[in-house]
Amino acid sequence: MLGLATGPICLASCGPVVLPWMLVQPQRVRSHVRQLSIFLGARLAGYLAFAAVIWLAGIALARSGTARSWIMGGVQVLLAVGLLIYAAAWPHARCGFVRRRKNDLVQIDAASTATPKPRPTGAIALGFLTGINLCPPFLVAGVRAAQLPTLAAALMFFAVFFVGTAVWFMPFLSLGVVRRTPSFLTVARMAAVLLACWYGFTGGSLLIEKAIYG
Amino acid sequence: MASRVLTRPPALRSPAFRSIGRSVLLTLPMALWALLMFTPSFRQPGRNLHIGALLVILFMTALFFLMMRTGKTYRWRRYFFVALGLLFPVGFIASLVAVRGTMSIPIERMVSGDTPFCYMVIPMLILPAAVTRTIIFPGSILPTASNPHSIAIMIGLWLALTLVVGKAWCSYVCFFGGIEEGFAALPKRMKIRKLDPRLRLVPWAILLFVVVLSAALFEPVYCMWLCPFKTVTEYPAVHSVTTAIQMGIFITLFAGLVVVLPYLTKKRTQCAFFCPFGAFQSLFNKINLFEIRFDREKCVDCTLCQTSCPTMALSAESIREGKTLLNCMKCGACVDSCKKSAAVWHLKGTKVALKPERARLLFLYGAWAMATMFGGSILANSISTIIGFLPLR
Amino acid sequence: MRARILAVLAYIGAAVTLLIAACVPFVLMGVFSNAVAHAGLHLDPSYSGGTIVRTVAHSGYQMDVYAPVRPRALQQVAAFVQIAFRPVAALPRHVSEEIDLDGDGQPDVRVSFTVPADPHARPSGEVVALNAKYQSFTMPGNYSFSEMMVQSGGAVVVRVPLR
Repeated sequence: MLGLATGPICLASCGPVVLPWMLVQPQRVRSHVRQLSIFLGARLAGYLAFAAVIWLAGIALARSGTARSWIMGGVQVLLAVGLLIYAAAWPHARCGFVRRRKNDLVQIDAASTATPKPRPTGAIALGFLTGINLCPPFLVAGVRAAQLPTLAAALMFFAVFFVGTAVWFMPFLSLGVVRRTPSFLTVARMAAVLLACWYGFTGGSLLIEKAIYG
Repeated sequence: MASRVLTRPPALRSPAFRSIGRSVLLTLPMALWALLMFTPSFRQPGRNLHIGALLVILFMTALFFLMMRTGKTYRWRRYFFVALGLLFPVGFIASLVAVRGTMSIPIERMVSGDTPFCYMVIPMLILPAAVTRTIIFPGSILPTASNPHSIAIMIGLWLALTLVVGKAWCSYVCFFGGIEEGFAALPKRMKIRKLDPRLRLVPWAILLFVVVLSAALFEPVYCMWLCPFKTVTEYPAVHSVTTAIQMGIFITLFAGLVVVLPYLTKKRTQCAFFCPFGAFQSLFNKINLFEIRFDREKCVDCTLCQTSCPTMALSAESIREGKTLLNCMKCGACVDSCKKSAAVWHLKGTKVALKPERARLLFLYGAWAMATMFGGSILANSISTIIGFLPLR
Repeated sequence: MRARILAVLAYIGAAVTLLIAACVPFVLMGVFSNAVAHAGLHLDPSYSGGTIVRTVAHSGYQMDVYAPVRPRALQQVAAFVQIAFRPVAALPRHVSEEIDLDGDGQPDVRVSFTVPADPHARPSGEVVALNAKYQSFTMPGNYSFSEMMVQSGGAVVVRVPLR
């Protein structure tokens, strides 16, 4: 219920990453289903990893502002790097975020609509990072998980929480039917760069602030 | 020598498009509209406001008359638009200084909902309002004594005006675009000629960026970080490194996109390559009935129209197809510049170039009426403010 | 025939647009504004302070305690509780009160401030946390949406940050 209730907020938190990333995917619903499944799977892995850490470390970690800032700062910088690689690499097929086809000279310019089939690496990386991005509903869930008697219960709690929030990601599948024109793809990549700049700035500022003032 | 004597000097002004009588007749409805719009100003006390209203009635009517008489649109519209761009900050800043003593917005003003609403915020409000019914702007929903420019009033005004003018908002209503249009008009020739056509996609990217991020941050990201016009309107008080960075960004963007680049390129660079609201407003070009089209039988592909377009809303392909791009704001620059009369005003659903002047008239009556109502009232207030500063008895 | 029908529809559309234009200042703007005003929207609580949960009456003035406001999604405003003392004109020169913010009957913070004579000036004072859930601060200091002591809308507004 917590997941369902806080779903729109989770969606808003992950939207800046998911939206530009989904927009540069090929225009096929099946491809979107596959990529979103991988993304959500990686996000679940992030949730479970966090649940395990929070249960083992105790409630203090969930309530510790310093730990939270370090984690958020780090995750945001990594998200910035991920988005930048995605924006810059597509459709270069160099970084492993997208698959290079055999004997395929992928046009780099925006006039090309040939979208290479994406590798799961990008979905896994971005999914895991958004999974451990400490947004407020996530922290509320973390506090509750830390109070549970067993690790299994904490993991189960986060898995159910994940299902509740994941429902809200389904509308992203509709992006699969949106026609990909070269202009459309260029806009999505530009937006990814801008969002990367924002994540880099906020994450970097958090890390610098913590490094200087503690 | 003989040929020199026989050659007639070139005409100094273009031949009149319409007779004076016909032009007056066509201007009459607009003059009456202007009078109607400013009647409330004459009922209010204050000589300065009366003078301002009278000057604006004359100004707007004279410009419309010249549009009718010469057949040119862009040339005369520009006088109004630049005046609006230059005078809006004067009136706005003066009122801020009179009320607050400063251009900056102190936090208590935000908490009490005293921030005047700006239409730039509208695209950013949609997602949070749809999902959480929350408005992410520090204004007030209903008008108050300290903030008449409330959210409901301004959104209502935007909706109504958009129904009439669509994307032409950017050339007949927006009170920011005139500043750069003024700077773009200063040089005789472009200093930078080659501009990457992909730049016209940047506003869409910024729109996507600010809409998504505003929904995540629950704050109007464009206003907080990217609006160049904060430099000449109001801004959060500088009290920390973050606010200093924000102010630095505002000033840099204003200097670059509103002053320097328009001067170098003779384009409205902020509108063409940055403004997310402009991109958002472009969507309404789909539902607006008026547009610019190209008569392919007359067009000689001289690209004069493309060069004259202030927002790069024309490409070689679009001209070949006889259309403008989605971001055309119907300023009329291409129509004015076309020597073959191939660029024409058009009413969707009718045959291209059949009755272009009729389409122009129908469009202009609506657009100029809105310009007079909205921009005209801003001009009148600003003029009355300026008169108030003059050492007159 | 189809072209003719389309042209007629186009001119009808153009006439309707002009009619709409004529209606904008008199009818349409008001209709749309009313629709927005009655759409059930509310200001984000980080600006408005949220909803009042308790009002404590004093001699001549009242104190409103608001519901805690917590950040949503990636919102960068820290969690806070707003307290408003109004009207400013009726406040004594110096106010010092222990206030129960969470409604458990125990005081959570002690708020002390001096009301300035200038209606635009900021009050000086302090908030001392009596409960570990809240943070103490002194004003003048770092003003933010979650930590402030200001005069606003005819009230002295105090925002106490939550831990």
